[in-house]
Amino acid sequence: MSAEWAGPVVLAEGLERSYEVGEEKVLALRGVSIRIERGDMTAIMGPSGSGKSTLMHLIGCLDSPTGGRILIDGVEAQDMSQTELARLRRERIGFVFQTFNLLPRLSILENAALPLRYAGVPNRLRLERAAAALEAVGLGDRTRHRPGQLSGGQRQRAAIARALINEPALILADEPTGALDQTTGRAILDLFRDINERGTTIVMVTHDPAVAASCRSTIRLRDGLIEEAGPTAFFEATAEGDSE
Amino acid sequence: MINENIRTAFQSFAGNKLRTLLSMVGIVIGVASVVAITAYGASASESIKRQIAKSGLETIMVMMGRDAGGESLRLFKEELAPELEEIEGVLQAMPVNQRSVTFRAGKQSATDTIVTALPGFVPLFDIEAAEGRFLSEADLTERSPVVVLGAELAATLFPSGGAVGSYLRVLGQNPQQLRIVGVLAKKSDAMGMNFDSTAFVPRTTYLTRIARPARPDRFIVRADGSKDPAATAKRIETFFFDLTGKSNAARVMSPSTVAETLSGVTDTLTTFLTGVAAISLVVGGIGIMNIMLVSVTERTREIGIRKAVGAPPRAILSQFLVEAVVLTGTGGLLGVAVGAGASYAAVKALSYPFVISPAACAVAWLVSAGTGIFFGLYPAARAARLDPVAALSYE
Ligand SMILES: Nc1ncnc2c1ncn2[C@@H]1O[C@H](COP(=O)(O)OP(=O)(O)O)[C@@H](O)[C@H]1O
Ligand SMILES: [Mg+2]
Repeated sequence: MSAEWAGPVVLAEGLERSYEVGEEKVLALRGVSIRIERGDMTAIMGPSGSGKSTLMHLIGCLDSPTGGRILIDGVEAQDMSQTELARLRRERIGFVFQTFNLLPRLSILENAALPLRYAGVPNRLRLERAAAALEAVGLGDRTRHRPGQLSGGQRQRAAIARALINEPALILADEPTGALDQTTGRAILDLFRDINERGTTIVMVTHDPAVAASCRSTIRLRDGLIEEAGPTAFFEATAEGDSE
Repeated sequence: MINENIRTAFQSFAGNKLRTLLSMVGIVIGVASVVAITAYGASASESIKRQIAKSGLETIMVMMGRDAGGESLRLFKEELAPELEEIEGVLQAMPVNQRSVTFRAGKQSATDTIVTALPGFVPLFDIEAAEGRFLSEADLTERSPVVVLGAELAATLFPSGGAVGSYLRVLGQNPQQLRIVGVLAKKSDAMGMNFDSTAFVPRTTYLTRIARPARPDRFIVRADGSKDPAATAKRIETFFFDLTGKSNAARVMSPSTVAETLSGVTDTLTTFLTGVAAISLVVGGIGIMNIMLVSVTERTREIGIRKAVGAPPRAILSQFLVEAVVLTGTGGLLGVAVGAGASYAAVKALSYPFVISPAACAVAWLVSAGTGIFFGLYPAARAARLDPVAALSYE
């Protein structure tokens, strides 16, 4: 279990996630098996409520499945404690959210450096690395700004810098362009593609067939099950059928 | 990591200055009262100690008691002195009279106390002459018309100095001229006597020239310091009880009994008020807990973000715990400052020496920090236990 693991970055078998809502049991995922290879860029699509976010949370080790197995970068995660999951998140995973989720009182430099705090990196080194990461996403001249002083696209770039700072094996993005206008969304997508081209595996949830089109493979969910999965090229004919 | 958390704590306070300040008020008051009360208590007992040190443990005052109707029991007489000196532990018993008279020197006059004195006063009251000398054995045997003035009285009668060698007149039916042979150094009260505005004359001179009191007002007893003056005081009480059969025949006051009474009162007060202060610390702690719970709820999303980027539950726990402790610790520091300032003002107003125990301040501060740990633990644990997904989607 280490960086040398050559197998798939994500391997899930029969993943289930159910929620107790009062007396009722809601099955958000009902047996999902996926395999995401290293260096891949995968889109997760599907109608609202189909289980996309739930799946992202399981892949991202923010949540544990109620059934099935999941291996992240070769590490079995389904039975881990909160502390172990936190370690997996900070060592191997970077998150990008639709609403950015930056801490409003910190500068984007401090925001980008935040994961390193929990990795035990000394403060000075953290800020140096964060500055480099911000530079890499084109925010080298904005490091002292707070999120509130930046545009949506700039905030998402800062969030991407934060996701990259740990040099994760996997970046998870849940509708990263959902809160952005089309032009800005394209630019963010280009940034993701750059990152992917440099070797980082990316999984992103999207409603936008055009976004999905730029991913190598697509997983389509419906009612907690995989409807279809495979190279995106095979999907083009049915892509516009993604209902909201 | 701790440094980091302290910095984060101050960042979060900076965004909520007023609320932070208000949430500390309880702790500030609690710690301030503990510090003020203990400092006040320590200063009061130091003042008592110094008074005892000044008048010496050997001084015992014997005042005439009063009967049930408040009438003075007229049992003192000059001849009791040698009898008192028979009592074990008594070195010397000096009958003393005093009265208020008007003095005149040139154009100046003053109404103050004149006291019959003996050379035995010197060691007993630690009397020191600033100028000239105190009364001597010879003044006594020769009934010399001399007087020694307290510092303030001398200053009133001789505003431009030069008292020693000058004369003053004691007004009355039978005015007397007395030569001033000494002026005493300034000195605070001892055993209820104000030395600074008193004139001392030889007892023999007083009795022959100034007044003819029927009996002494009191006896000032010099006790043997090595023989437990408190026990000697008890024996004097017994002596008067045996003499009269009345338990209140004489009031016997020794510095140790005075000190005991006073420090007993101070101790009780200190214990009581410390209890009150402890309660206010608990109340302050609950206030902190409340504000921390609010803070955890408000910052649910922040907690979710931190968890998402890899913060383990422990890191969240320590972040919020440190925040609570920084809050109460800062409140505690403010409290120590406020308490020290308030007690300093109070003590100086009472002209006590100011004594503050650094240990007491340290303990009060540690307790305030401990309050933060105790009352911060539950909110911090709640933050640490938050489910990352739920926290991230919290609106
Ligand atoms: N915490 C929860 N409690 C109960 N039901 C939930 C919870 N989270 C998600 N669900 C349910 O699980 C299903 C999938 O949700 P989600 O993964 O958010 O869908 P998507 O992201 O595809 O819109 C939905 O029916 C939703 O109502
Ligand atoms: Mg969703």
